[in-house]
Amino acid sequence: MVYKKGFDLIKAYPTEFSEEVVSVRYSGQTENFSFSFPEKKVEHIIINLCPTEPWALPHWAILKGNTINFLHKLEKVRSEYFPDSPCRIVVDRCEDELINDLIRYGKKKEWLHTFSMKPVYPYDAPVLIIKNVLGLETTFGENPIDHGILLLEPQTITGIYEHYMLKRETGVRLIPISGTGLHENRILKIKPGTPVETVLKKYIRTDIKYRVFFDGLLNGTEVEDLSQTVNWSVKNIVVMEERDYKTPFPYMKTKELGSTTSLMGELRRCVYCNYCDDICPVNLEPALYWHCYSRGEKQKARHYALDKCIECGLCSYICPSKLELLQVIRECKSGS
Amino acid sequence: MKIFKSIEIILDNNLNKAEQFVQSRPKVNFLFGALFEACDGLIRSTKDTAKTPPYIRSNMDVKQYMGGVLVALFFGWVVPAIYFYGFLCVVPKLIVSFAIGVFVVDVIWVVLAREERINEGGFVTCLFIPALLPPQAPLWLIGVGAAISILFRNILGGVGHNLVNPALLGRLLLTICFPAIVVTGWQEPFTEIPTVQSFIHGVDAVTRATPLIVYKEIGETASYFSLLFGSNTGSLGETCRIAIIIMGVWLCFKRIANWRIPVAYLGSVFIFSAVLSLLVGNTVAPPIFQLLSGGLIFAAFFMATDPVTTTYSQIGKWIFGIGCGLITVVIRSFTPIPEGIMYAILLMNLIGIPIQSLILKIKYR
Ligand code: SF4
Ligand code: SF4
Repeated sequence: MVYKKGFDLIKAYPTEFSEEVVSVRYSGQTENFSFSFPEKKVEHIIINLCPTEPWALPHWAILKGNTINFLHKLEKVRSEYFPDSPCRIVVDRCEDELINDLIRYGKKKEWLHTFSMKPVYPYDAPVLIIKNVLGLETTFGENPIDHGILLLEPQTITGIYEHYMLKRETGVRLIPISGTGLHENRILKIKPGTPVETVLKKYIRTDIKYRVFFDGLLNGTEVEDLSQTVNWSVKNIVVMEERDYKTPFPYMKTKELGSTTSLMGELRRCVYCNYCDDICPVNLEPALYWHCYSRGEKQKARHYALDKCIECGLCSYICPSKLELLQVIRECKSGS
Repeated sequence: MKIFKSIEIILDNNLNKAEQFVQSRPKVNFLFGALFEACDGLIRSTKDTAKTPPYIRSNMDVKQYMGGVLVALFFGWVVPAIYFYGFLCVVPKLIVSFAIGVFVVDVIWVVLAREERINEGGFVTCLFIPALLPPQAPLWLIGVGAAISILFRNILGGVGHNLVNPALLGRLLLTICFPAIVVTGWQEPFTEIPTVQSFIHGVDAVTRATPLIVYKEIGETASYFSLLFGSNTGSLGETCRIAIIIMGVWLCFKRIANWRIPVAYLGSVFIFSAVLSLLVGNTVAPPIFQLLSGGLIFAAFFMATDPVTTTYSQIGKWIFGIGCGLITVVIRSFTPIPEGIMYAILLMNLIGIPIQSLILKIKYR
């Protein structure tokens, strides 16, 4: 297993989606697509076709086997709205076919660049992708547009194309749903504005306890109230089994337990094992924040480069003492 | 498979009942709650779930971490020691150490101090105690050592708050209280094809000084082969160095021990002794002999790497290892004490704290 600097979540939690994309019917109030074009000049566009989380939308759902078609749309959108901005497309290093398509297409077009990387979490986080692709330093929490960088979701490009150029009503968004709380993993066409319960109704397992999360399990948010609606910024929905009872012989069931919300161990004090700083993608030492926090000196945590943290959550994920490091970091950042 | 499943369900139900019984009666809970939790924790997972993001967690926990150390110690010294000194020499010591350390002192402490639970670190400490003493050490000495170590370990704060390595501290106190007993009884190990007789009883107890003492007295080095494979005298746990090295490397590979410490420790012992023996001549033992004698390899892989007692920062770990190496060589060469690892590690454990804060000051100016 690779612990060093980032973590291969896709390998650790393999998630397959069935190929068929299904529409979710909903007749209540929905929101239409809209894109707020930046007022600042866009100097770089980055499009990520290499998600590093297994529960993220796989790119084949957008490309639909026709990369050229997607690139045509991109070219039109670019020449209409961002005529001077070069585009960088980030792809998985192992997908030769896709890379070949991109290189062939980009041969005569100097605005299109292909950048390949390993799909290791969290290398597609804004701060890291900007650093790797452009070599520019940004801080977590800043809007990249302040630096003239526009990060575009592939889905947004087709959205802009259809809504603003073809003037078609665009009201659906592709959202992948996955996790052990579902019968099957699916990619759904959802009209934003649909409540979460309606979305999940057909797929959710009723025989177990479950919890629902938006935008991934590592630094996403929990959906406590299932009547909450899915909006345009939701990227994915994960439903995980909740095991709030004891399971006998956990050592023989690590896989099964690992795909639940179980803590997988008891809360202890920090044992100085160095797992957290080995895995931290930006070379911080998260245990220091915990030490400050546990001594009640939240302010002091700032001395240790706290603002560099991109809140990826890997340190809490790996900590064998099960310390809530991400929570501690967020509290230290807010400073109260 | 089916039988297993039904056993599992019965077990689960009964443990649930027992848990309810314990928790619903305050007095029972006061006395046996922690003990029950500890036993239950070995059989079943916790019921805690992640309340804050990330909502999934890796399966590595402190139990597995300590379990790894226990496995490494078992194959690293218990198994070879049984071969060299016989079953009856090793196993009673372990039983006494565990019984007194974990089941008496730890349990009493948990009940008195109202700690939430007994933790597995006590087993590691108790598995160290017999290894650090000569093969002929009396059982009561082991018991006293285990009791002192666990007591100090708990006073200083348990897992996550140890100031110094508790097993070494126990050994130090034994050295102070019973100076004569801890340095005698270095039994000659058994080295032939094992028979049932030898497996159970070991061989006749012929004692001989350890290679380091011999070197101090007459300046003779033992054969490297005998040192490596354990057919020479020494403390119970430190002689079969090849097994220790294999298990130590495994620990580093599993990332339970930090590889920087053994590398820094062994490397610096080698370099310092090479340089010093060139400068001062024969008072300093030759480097390879230094590496292979005494408890150095055992200590470098298993004791110095005890994570809580070193520094958190990685650079600090290098400094820690090198410091241990320097002190070890100096004590072995220039003092009347033949073996210096115990003092070296304890001293560096203490120095580790200022080193850590100094490194932080420099790194995050
Ligand atoms: S300190 Fe921040 S960036 Fe580093 S692993 Fe933890 S959450 Fe991620
Ligand atoms: S991973 Fe957890 S236990 Fe290990 S050093 Fe970091 S905070 Fe401490």
